[in-house]
Amino acid sequence: MNEVEELLRRALRRVEPPEGFAERLVRALPQVTPANVMALRAARKATPVSAWRRFSAPAALAASLLVAVFTGQHLATLKAEREEQAGLAASRELMQALRVTSQKLDLAYEAVQRPAPAPTAEEENRS
Amino acid sequence: MNLQSAQVDTPSLLARARRGDQAAFASLIRMHQASVFSIGYRMLNRRDAAEDLAQDVFLQLYRKLDSIESVEHMGFWLRRVAANLAIDWLRRAAYARVAPLEDGAEIPAPQADEDPLMDRELVRLLGELAPAARAVMVLRYQEDRDVAEIAATLDMPVNTVKSHIKRSLTAMRGKMIGAQLITAEELP
Repeated sequence: MNEVEELLRRALRRVEPPEGFAERLVRALPQVTPANVMALRAARKATPVSAWRRFSAPAALAASLLVAVFTGQHLATLKAEREEQAGLAASRELMQALRVTSQKLDLAYEAVQRPAPAPTAEEENRS
Repeated sequence: MNLQSAQVDTPSLLARARRGDQAAFASLIRMHQASVFSIGYRMLNRRDAAEDLAQDVFLQLYRKLDSIESVEHMGFWLRRVAANLAIDWLRRAAYARVAPLEDGAEIPAPQADEDPLMDRELVRLLGELAPAARAVMVLRYQEDRDVAEIAATLDMPVNTVKSHIKRSLTAMRGKMIGAQLITAEELP
């Protein structure tokens, strides 16, 4: 592999960036020194955090959890009520159906129990 | 400030740059710009992308100057940030779609005993490697870093670095033989 390695070293010579690269970069630097950046960071870390900022996130989380629990409970109650009402309606429909069936059976029974009319003379002669 | 005097006293340059001396920081950039730009260029194969990457790297350096312990540490830090940033960019869709070698890609002016076509083909083959393998090869053969330093630079086990080098060399050699750029007998 030595020759490939030598060829690679030759092919991968460093390339210079465009003329004036460093000058352009320095002109674009933010107007704060690295020391200022460090000082700002340190100051930010040292700033006391207010009670509201310290507890706002956990409080918001707890409130969200409570809302979720109550919403869940409310939805479950609504669902149970809907199921109960549907059950009652089905029961009412069944009772109605049974009543109608019973009435029809009574009519049929009465028709069976009624005595048949006596045959007429014409009918007797035909037979 | 001229570059010659800057190179003589780089520790003081570093100290001055930390205090916000932009001329000192410009001198530090000039000392390392070819290395950082070339890492970006060999990794991304685009001059504009390499320039963007180099700018990002030096801006990060400016913000982190207080954590740089020495000039040697600065060189290591720059290579580390440049290589890892290039790997990240390559993994993004926009750069992953870039052809392995842009048309007219720059090969340094040839010296007497050099073969520009061979160089171009090698750079093209390098561009076909996966981002991590490419970074290993650039750090090894462009930046002339040893295996242990490459491993530290890329947060990679030493054996993985060795394996990347071996596999990449084998693959490149096979393709060069296939393209009749070299013959099998030329190499041991």
